[in-house]
Amino acid sequence: MSVETHAHHEHPDVVGSRNRLGVILLIVADVAFALSMIFVYFYLRMQNVNDMWLPAATEESPAVTALSSSSGWTVTALMAIGLLAHFYALKGVRAGNQTQLKLGGLVAFIFSVVGLVYQFNTIATAPFTFSSGAYASCFYMLTILNFVHIVLTVFISLGNWNRSRLGIYKADHWHVDIVNVWWIWMTVSSLLGAFALSFT
Amino acid sequence: MTTLTNRPASANAGHKKALIERLNFFTALALGAISAIVVWRLALQFLPQDAETAQYFNREDKITLLSMVAWFVGFMTGIGALIAPFRWLTGKDLSHDENMYYAGKDMGVKRYFRYTTDHKVVGIQYLVITTVIFFIGGVLAMLIRTNLGHPEGGWIHPQAYNSIVGTHGIVMIVGTIIMVTGPFGNFIMPIMIGARDMAFPRLNALSFWLIVAAAVPLLWGQFIGGITTGWSAYNPLASQAPLGMDGYIMYICIFAISTMVAGANITTTVIRMRAKGMTWNRTPIFIYGTVASVALALPAFPVFFLSQVLSAMDRALGTSFYDTAHGGSGWLYENLFWLMGHPEVYVILIPAVAALMEMAPVFSRNPLFSFNLAVMGIAGISGLSVLVWAHHMYISGWAPLLNAPFMLTTELISIPTGMLFLVLVGTLWRGRIWVTMPMASIFALLWNFMIGGITGIYLSDVPADAFLHGSMYVTAHFHYTLMGAGLTGALASLVYWFPKMTGRMFDKKLSWISFWLTQIGFNIAFIGMFAVGLAGQPRRVEGYAAIFNQGNLITTIGAYMIMAGMLVLLHGLISSWRSGVKAPMNPWQAKTLEWSVANPIPLENFDVLPTVTSDAYGYGKAKS
Repeated sequence: MSVETHAHHEHPDVVGSRNRLGVILLIVADVAFALSMIFVYFYLRMQNVNDMWLPAATEESPAVTALSSSSGWTVTALMAIGLLAHFYALKGVRAGNQTQLKLGGLVAFIFSVVGLVYQFNTIATAPFTFSSGAYASCFYMLTILNFVHIVLTVFISLGNWNRSRLGIYKADHWHVDIVNVWWIWMTVSSLLGAFALSFT
Repeated sequence: MTTLTNRPASANAGHKKALIERLNFFTALALGAISAIVVWRLALQFLPQDAETAQYFNREDKITLLSMVAWFVGFMTGIGALIAPFRWLTGKDLSHDENMYYAGKDMGVKRYFRYTTDHKVVGIQYLVITTVIFFIGGVLAMLIRTNLGHPEGGWIHPQAYNSIVGTHGIVMIVGTIIMVTGPFGNFIMPIMIGARDMAFPRLNALSFWLIVAAAVPLLWGQFIGGITTGWSAYNPLASQAPLGMDGYIMYICIFAISTMVAGANITTTVIRMRAKGMTWNRTPIFIYGTVASVALALPAFPVFFLSQVLSAMDRALGTSFYDTAHGGSGWLYENLFWLMGHPEVYVILIPAVAALMEMAPVFSRNPLFSFNLAVMGIAGISGLSVLVWAHHMYISGWAPLLNAPFMLTTELISIPTGMLFLVLVGTLWRGRIWVTMPMASIFALLWNFMIGGITGIYLSDVPADAFLHGSMYVTAHFHYTLMGAGLTGALASLVYWFPKMTGRMFDKKLSWISFWLTQIGFNIAFIGMFAVGLAGQPRRVEGYAAIFNQGNLITTIGAYMIMAGMLVLLHGLISSWRSGVKAPMNPWQAKTLEWSVANPIPLENFDVLPTVTSDAYGYGKAKS
């Protein structure tokens, strides 16, 4: 048997379709994870156990006030722009336009980095600590895990842009398709977080 | 990084090894240990002391968790898991030769200690690690049973006893989750569907090595206080438990990632890589069982993962997800835990039962009775299993109004389960029974699972559960399902597919001795446990009243019989593998595709990919 023969037999569309399904299934797991976080947020908010969702002022500490949800929506907007840029890149590669692919990939990467920095800043400048009650706990849960998501997005976007720059996606472009699927999910997951944080 | 090429032997003499040639299990151990020690030292040096108002011991938790994360990252780097992602990032994809190297081509026994991507190697690796896990879990079980030989407890300190119970629980849960889908789902499944490998070979290797990486934090945890909370690690109890709890948290988080990766991989393989002509009606029932199991795990384990992330945040950062004094809720943990916890029971059971359904036609020379019913049963159990979690929480006080709906959904699950019984009995009915150990295991499953299932109905019933909850009755019930049904199916799978996996027959005599010792011992052990549970003995308690002495003694005797049976099986496994009778290509005259491949199986399984023209259950028909 010649394994080499087999290695070149599969059509890129077949490989691409398989990889796309695999990524979607991994995203299904991630969706379950994200929805669990949303469940945690609303569960604790509705329970408001011992009135400690947003603790009132005590002798030792001031009252905890919720942050405006605008930071969550800003991150979502950054991710959405990144998605649009990546979609522009995808259209480029589909049309055989390598310049459009590289430009769209670069802009998407830049927006993922901006989103990362912004998300970090939101976490670092929050006016409460980890132990400031249930809202603060949930805030950190959503923002830190979104930060981790964006780190992954930065990695993927950098790789995608770099590979575009090297001309790897001239023959087939299923990698770019798959990265687009991730960008869509990234935007939706940021939106879910922002939506939850709007209900303080 | 240099690229591997096919070099003549003479050229190898002065060749400098490429990075992927250098990495193996031992470099992973070394890098993991060094990373953990370095981070531990740095954390000790630089992490500020806790404020006086801090709850419990946040700083120690931070140090422990950071060190464990460092171990994990170091280990995965050392085994070579990060090479391909970084090669992708830099645009230098792995060459064909490098992929062949990863597949373990011409590498002999060394490939079992590397990040090897060949599904057959991964299957054997899973078989070995499952055996090790069961050995450890079994030793812990014997410590528990021996200690329970006397009413006032014995020679184990109560704290240590609690930790042994918790560790036994989580070790065995992980072992039973991977016992069928790990070895047989990886080794057999791709060949059974006519594929050359899994859809994502590197993810396959990743899912295995993640389990190895997860083992160390759990072991580490034993030396820093152990897991004193039972395997369910309820909060806020877990928030207050010793540092060993951090080992449990890391273990679960890493294992959950492994399960998700394996779930995506196996599901994609089955959906996209079945042989030409293998329509869903012609796909073997074992494949349905495997896919149902991993597809169920795919959304379930992330919830478990999150529950442990929040637990880690409560312990190390002082958040209050589960701390009622600061706005958290213990019920939140219970919901997250059992949202995974009950589907997980079926993640364990379904592939084991499906494996036995695969064997029933072979050893009764009958077609599978009502294939469609079997598929409906598997789908029904999978669907309902995500709607029953709160039956574990009846007496916790959470949402009493929901008790009745959850009682209903739980009892409804008996219907699809009954379908699987019907398929098995219908297949055996008027068959030409070939009495082998796997065949006998089908009868054992019917008996054990019937007891496990019926006793479960009482636990799903709210008034009965109010009395039985937290008693040894519950322990006996889930052992009847997970061990009596699940493990029985896994052991039958081992004997059935052993010839294909090793090229040798499993020693028949030893398989029978092991079967009878295990099954008789099992029923003695857990019938005794039912008796003391019904009489009111609580579970997870080191001492008990003298009134329960007789039942516990019977259980302990049964446990020793199980131990003897398992040691015989282990001996059979090792001796048959080393020097068993060489197996013919198809010793059972079965009709699924894996038996059409010669021993030893070529690297890519098939010279020419097969085309399927009928289902695999045409027994009892002309020329079959």
